[in-house]
Amino acid sequence: MSLSAFLLVSLVLFSAGLVAIMSRRNLVTILVGIELMLNAASINFMAFNYYTAVDPVVGQIIVLVIIGLAAAEVAIFLSILMVLYRARHDVDVEEIREIRG
Amino acid sequence: MIATLVIAAFMILAMAGAIYAALVPHTLHCIIGLGLTLFGVAGIYLYLGSPFVAAMQILIYIGGISVAMVFALMLSVSLAKKMKHSEIKVILSSIAAILFLAVMARLIMTTEFPLREEPAGAAAWGVEQIGHGFLTTYSPLFIGLAICLSVAIIAAVLVARREADKS
Repeated sequence: MSLSAFLLVSLVLFSAGLVAIMSRRNLVTILVGIELMLNAASINFMAFNYYTAVDPVVGQIIVLVIIGLAAAEVAIFLSILMVLYRARHDVDVEEIREIRG
Repeated sequence: MIATLVIAAFMILAMAGAIYAALVPHTLHCIIGLGLTLFGVAGIYLYLGSPFVAAMQILIYIGGISVAMVFALMLSVSLAKKMKHSEIKVILSSIAAILFLAVMARLIMTTEFPLREEPAGAAAWGVEQIGHGFLTTYSPLFIGLAICLSVAIIAAVLVARREADKS
């Protein structure tokens, strides 16, 4: 397996995330798209780490940080989703126009 | 040979899950597709020499994030049923994504990367090295991540609770 194969896999994941974010109106599926894009970035880091980096620790640490940040992001995102659902009984992003609760 | 076949299978699993998650109309199926992708990505990490990151991927992403999303879906019941899905938006965004994919794939295929002669040995990939890195050179990153996580969890609890008190 060469470096390009991993980069292409990550590119497909990123494009799928792009489609999910652009075409969906549901907050949960948009979150799925964001996770796909984060995973694409992580694969890139790990692949470059394996094939080119001088110190193989760097890429692993960055991927672990990305995983941690994704967990934090999901916690915030889901709590916002719960509030929105309680207030409006809907999580359609095109219907959510006001910020004031 | 067998390693190549296995990694190819994981890659195909990751890509198929991602495309399924992007296109399937039902929200729960979308999360299942995400789970498949995350599993495939964990296999890719394993091939790329890092069992620790692969384990973290499975524990945190599949065990934590996907399950949290399914719980959110269960708490907001009507979400699982109704789902407006406009074909025209899917087609337009697919065209945009395929254009992006074509341009980037060409870029990847034509670039010469400065490859290392041989990949680093297994000794450089251990948990010990990661822990050492986190506690010495990259300690600001580690502390920042810890603060970010605790602030995010406190904020999530506060945001979800305030509305409950009001109603």
